[in-house]
Amino acid sequence: MANNKQSKLKIKVPAISKKVKKPVSKNSALKAERRNLLRRASDKDKTPTHLGKVLLQQSQDLKLKNRQIKKWVERNDLAEEQVYILTKAMESAVDGIFLIDAQKQDYPIVYTNKSFQKMTGYTKNEILGKNYFLLYGVDSDPLIINKIKRAMRKGKSFIGEVLNFNKAGKKCWNSLRLSPVHDLMGEVSHYVGIKTDITLMRQRELKIEEQRHELLHVTRVGKLAEFVSSLAHEISQPLTAILAYAQAAQRMLKSKEPKLKEALECIINDDKRAAAVIQRLRSLLKKGVSEMKPLDINTLINDTVMLIATDAAVRHDVLKLELKNELPLICGDQIQLQQVILNLISNSFDALDNGQQIREIIINTSVKDNMIIVEVRDTGCGIPVKNLPKLFTRFFTSKQDGLGMGLSISRSIVESHGGKLNVKNNPDGGAIFYFSLPIKQKAEV
Amino acid sequence: MTIGKTIIYVVDDDTSVCEALKLLLESHGFKVRTFTRAEDFLSYNHSKAASCLILDLSLPLMNGLDLQETMKAQGLFIPIIFVSGHGDIPQSVKAMKAGATDFLPKPFTQKDLLNAIDRALVKNKNQIKRKSEIKKILQRIKSLSPRELEVFRLVAKGMLSKQIAYKRGVSLQTIKVHRGRVMNKMQAKTVTELIRFAQKAGITPPTV
Repeated sequence: MANNKQSKLKIKVPAISKKVKKPVSKNSALKAERRNLLRRASDKDKTPTHLGKVLLQQSQDLKLKNRQIKKWVERNDLAEEQVYILTKAMESAVDGIFLIDAQKQDYPIVYTNKSFQKMTGYTKNEILGKNYFLLYGVDSDPLIINKIKRAMRKGKSFIGEVLNFNKAGKKCWNSLRLSPVHDLMGEVSHYVGIKTDITLMRQRELKIEEQRHELLHVTRVGKLAEFVSSLAHEISQPLTAILAYAQAAQRMLKSKEPKLKEALECIINDDKRAAAVIQRLRSLLKKGVSEMKPLDINTLINDTVMLIATDAAVRHDVLKLELKNELPLICGDQIQLQQVILNLISNSFDALDNGQQIREIIINTSVKDNMIIVEVRDTGCGIPVKNLPKLFTRFFTSKQDGLGMGLSISRSIVESHGGKLNVKNNPDGGAIFYFSLPIKQKAEV
Repeated sequence: MTIGKTIIYVVDDDTSVCEALKLLLESHGFKVRTFTRAEDFLSYNHSKAASCLILDLSLPLMNGLDLQETMKAQGLFIPIIFVSGHGDIPQSVKAMKAGATDFLPKPFTQKDLLNAIDRALVKNKNQIKRKSEIKKILQRIKSLSPRELEVFRLVAKGMLSKQIAYKRGVSLQTIKVHRGRVMNKMQAKTVTELIRFAQKAGITPPTV
């Protein structure tokens, strides 16, 4: 090895020796020579030749391509991740999400998420490729389906509430939002739909509506019953007098005038007949047995206000609740007490109809002397002082189309619950109706 | 007590009903006073004779039930026969619970009315009797000396003379003398009668 090295060096020594000016020791001179040679050799390598140039260029191109490919792969990975997350998000959504191919004639479904499958009751395989409208069930409203189809044909979006039937035929109300997806050319390629199950909300709305109707019906029947009972009372007064007069006259006649006595007997009998008619009428309209249950008055007020909230909004009246927390329970008939509260609120509505600036109805609850006090206060026109004593009497009304029954019924309901209903004018304007209800005793069932 | 002296009060806001009832009841020999307002009846100077009240449930301002309550509060003990043109069961139950003797739905026959009046008058008679008895007892109690009253109370409580003597720290003889005077002044023949007097007069024994 050492020999070989030395021989290589020897060959080049004569050429290089000229350049070495300073005298050097043999060993160190050799070392320097070698360094110079090596430097030169590498310098020589760097000088480009044609082939070298091409090779260099190609290797640079390759490097660039390699970098690009790496970038693409990275980007692709990212896109894949994005797609994955988006899909995952769609699958996790509570709302039903689906895609319809808008290019094909029969609007097939090309994607649905899990919630959609759950809502409709169909599996993914049953849905994909099927016409979207087939999932609606045969009993669906054709009008609404046509409306959706029309929107889709025009490439417009659709927002609405639809009654659907799932696979098992169960009714469900859906809120549907369909919007077009445009491709690069601006054509509608797909429709994306979001479906929300609003069955519970609908049911609640329907229940409220039902309660309203029931209450209105009860109120109407109550008014009729009260009307008949008042009429019966009015008639029974003269009947009482006629009967007493006739029987007195009979006694006065003693045994004189038998014919006259007979006539009086007829009057008495006919009087009794009329009385029997009234009695029958009364028993016919006898109020149903009231259902006395432990009730929370605040809940009752909240429920009642819910029934009338839309009316208040339409009339631009503000309904405010000032309910005292944790009131003790009362014992009462829910429907009857709702009737009272509703009657007071609707009276306040009427009182606010005279162009008041502030249109407010405030319902307040409190406790006083073992009684719960409910107050309905309005910023209306108030009650003329001369009307105050007559306000609760039957047939008294200050309204053009009023029967004069509402407050008298309300008072009798409150009294049958062991409370009192009264009214006073608010010194700041408006009327205050207030009623008391006894707090339920613990032993009471 | 004869019918002629008996007074029937009628309170009904319908004057025709008032007049007709007056005529009918007078034909039976009663004295009748009619009022169309509860307030007028209250301010009337009521006779001490036997009487009863025919009262309409629904009256303007003060209604029948209110009047019943006020009469109770004022110590005006006249039996009440309620009459009403409303077939109002809850109201009538309330009235009966508060001590009304009868409830007649309008229109009523003279037979029903007279029966009701009979019952009311019997009740009134008993009431008057009891009232005068109580009055007498109270008068007798007033005549007792403080010491005698104390002994009366303790005896009414059921204590024996010996116990009373021990409790008061006096001799048995003294108590016996007091007790004899109490029996004498109260006009009681037996101790049982004395105790009954005490109950009627509402004498409550002092708490020990």
